[in-house]
Amino acid sequence: MSTPIKDPTPAPADLGPAPRPRKADAPARFADSGGVLNVFSHGFLALWAVMIVLPLAWIVLSSFKTDAQIGGSAWTWPSHWSFEVFVRAWNKGIGGFFLNTVIVLAFSVALTMLFGAMAAYVLARYEFPGNRVIYYFFVAGAMFPVYLALVPLFFMVRNLGMLNTYQGLILVYVAYSLPFTVFFLHSFFRTLPTAVHEAAMIDGCSHTRAFFQVMLPIAKPGLLSVGIFNVLGQWNQYILPLTLMQKQSGADRDHSMLTQGLVNLALQQGYAGDMPALFAGMTIAMLPVLVVYLSFQRQVQAGLTAGTLK
Amino acid sequence: MATVTFDKATRIYPGTDRAAVDKLDIEIADGEFLVLVGPSGCGKSTSLRMLAGLEDVDDGAIRIGDRDVTHLPPKDRDIAMVFQNYALYPHMTVADNMGFALKIAGVNKTEIRTRVEEAAKILDLTEYLGRKPKALSGGQRQRVAMGRAIVREPQVFLMDEPLSNLDAKLRVQTRTQIAGLQRRLGTTTVYVTHDQVEAMTMGDRVAVLKDGLLQQVDSPRNMYDRPANLFVAGFIGSPAMNLVEVPITDGGVKFGNSIVPVNREAIAAAAEKGDRTVTVGVRPEHFDIANGEAKALAKDEPAGVAVTVNVVEELGADGYVYGTAEIGGEQKDIVVRVGGRQVPMKGEVLHVVPRAGETHVFSTSSGERLSD
Repeated sequence: MSTPIKDPTPAPADLGPAPRPRKADAPARFADSGGVLNVFSHGFLALWAVMIVLPLAWIVLSSFKTDAQIGGSAWTWPSHWSFEVFVRAWNKGIGGFFLNTVIVLAFSVALTMLFGAMAAYVLARYEFPGNRVIYYFFVAGAMFPVYLALVPLFFMVRNLGMLNTYQGLILVYVAYSLPFTVFFLHSFFRTLPTAVHEAAMIDGCSHTRAFFQVMLPIAKPGLLSVGIFNVLGQWNQYILPLTLMQKQSGADRDHSMLTQGLVNLALQQGYAGDMPALFAGMTIAMLPVLVVYLSFQRQVQAGLTAGTLK
Repeated sequence: MATVTFDKATRIYPGTDRAAVDKLDIEIADGEFLVLVGPSGCGKSTSLRMLAGLEDVDDGAIRIGDRDVTHLPPKDRDIAMVFQNYALYPHMTVADNMGFALKIAGVNKTEIRTRVEEAAKILDLTEYLGRKPKALSGGQRQRVAMGRAIVREPQVFLMDEPLSNLDAKLRVQTRTQIAGLQRRLGTTTVYVTHDQVEAMTMGDRVAVLKDGLLQQVDSPRNMYDRPANLFVAGFIGSPAMNLVEVPITDGGVKFGNSIVPVNREAIAAAAEKGDRTVTVGVRPEHFDIANGEAKALAKDEPAGVAVTVNVVEELGADGYVYGTAEIGGEQKDIVVRVGGRQVPMKGEVLHVVPRAGETHVFSTSSGERLSD
């Protein structure tokens, strides 16, 4: 858990009489002066990590426990490790909700990225009257909380006849994610070298082709960062599906998202207690996000620091 | 192959009054290697980008061959450009980088491959065709950028300081390679650089720009021997020409303790404009060290100018003496080239005389050349 910062008692070999070059000395001295700060900051980070990791670990562990164990001491260890509970949770509706969420996200994230990248690129790279105004409009979209717009949004989607439909939620997700996407990619496209675009133009590219075949591939780190951000945000979105994805009639198919499904599962507990299934459902919901994040972690970091490189 | 014509081409950046390129008038012959040179901000890159179509032309025209390309987009101009930072596509392999333009033009795959491989062979890139640009050294990237240009077999090559990111040794090497390649391909080339040595060594002709205005276009030899004005005189040549303001006298101009003969009409013209002085230019290698042999103006003093040595740069074959001399009551810095075996010591006093026929005389007020 703890990170070795600095050995407080240097090994005797280090105290040898041989004078070490100044250059090697400098970083060591730097670490000396920062020692106290390092202990403090690492301690703080360790505490923070525990605060984040412990509840998550607790959820995963709880899905292996029985109702009785969950009701008992929080510190007991699961007695038998069986994945049967995950199957149970999946069949209790989590599977359907999972699928709904995947369908919606497949389209909403793809469209957000496509539209966001196109808008950001044009705003960042082309000078035209109203350029700044449009950009500020996009950015302003990120300024006000979604709750303020919930009621008008509900009526708007209802008037379009898109309540409890995939396409309705997809469109809302796209609109909801565009401001940040445009904001982020706008600054990212600004950092890309103009000469590459010019080279593409001289090589005979049209604007469209230069964008899709040259600029987008170069912007991959930025696209990945903001893409993952959008996946996380939309996967965990609750208030929007809650408002827009309610069954409108008895015959209506249930298009609930995973988050809604989990809440329903939790609410049912009052009547038919299956706590392990709830925890298993939450674990299932966490997994894709974790997988996405872990597999692209390197690119995300590259994307976030892209402006500082080169 | 084609000629290139700048016909009073002008570029004024939005929000500025002064033209970045002001009525540029150059005719570039078919197959010629023209170098645009000048200090930074002189408009040389802007001129090149106007020719490339990356910069608008506000006035005048640009023609490639007989085609007026003034307002054509870059892709319709049949040009290829090498950028200073190479601008390679980082996500494509070397082969894809070089073949990208052909792919867009709809050339079939086998043809693209043969042309790319041919260019790679010329540039010694064959073994790197499968690599991405980031796995290449600076010199290799530069060659890929060159390859991307020659694969297309365009009418005109444009090069925007393609060597400035290379280290000094590689730059000298690549300089000759590019010049040789251009001679072999015979493609009209416009080359931008701020390095006057590059300009002198590579170009068939050199165009010197300053503040958006063309100062002189000429062969490197003529540029060196007969600079058209003070700016060109000071810019071309390293170390720079010594430029000293001296008073006009009868039959010439007085330079220290000797007379530099100058065309009578030129002196008259300068005097007419109210100039009492002219500026004499002498290249460091055109000073002869006089040890009392040359004809002196005043009998009791040795001939020429007394230069007190401050610094000596020894380059092996020869040495440059940086010294000060009192000319017309003012202390002037003077650079003199001396033989590598006769290098003076610091603090010594040399008497130097400008070699007859190798001096340049410029009007002090207008900067124009007065001597032939």
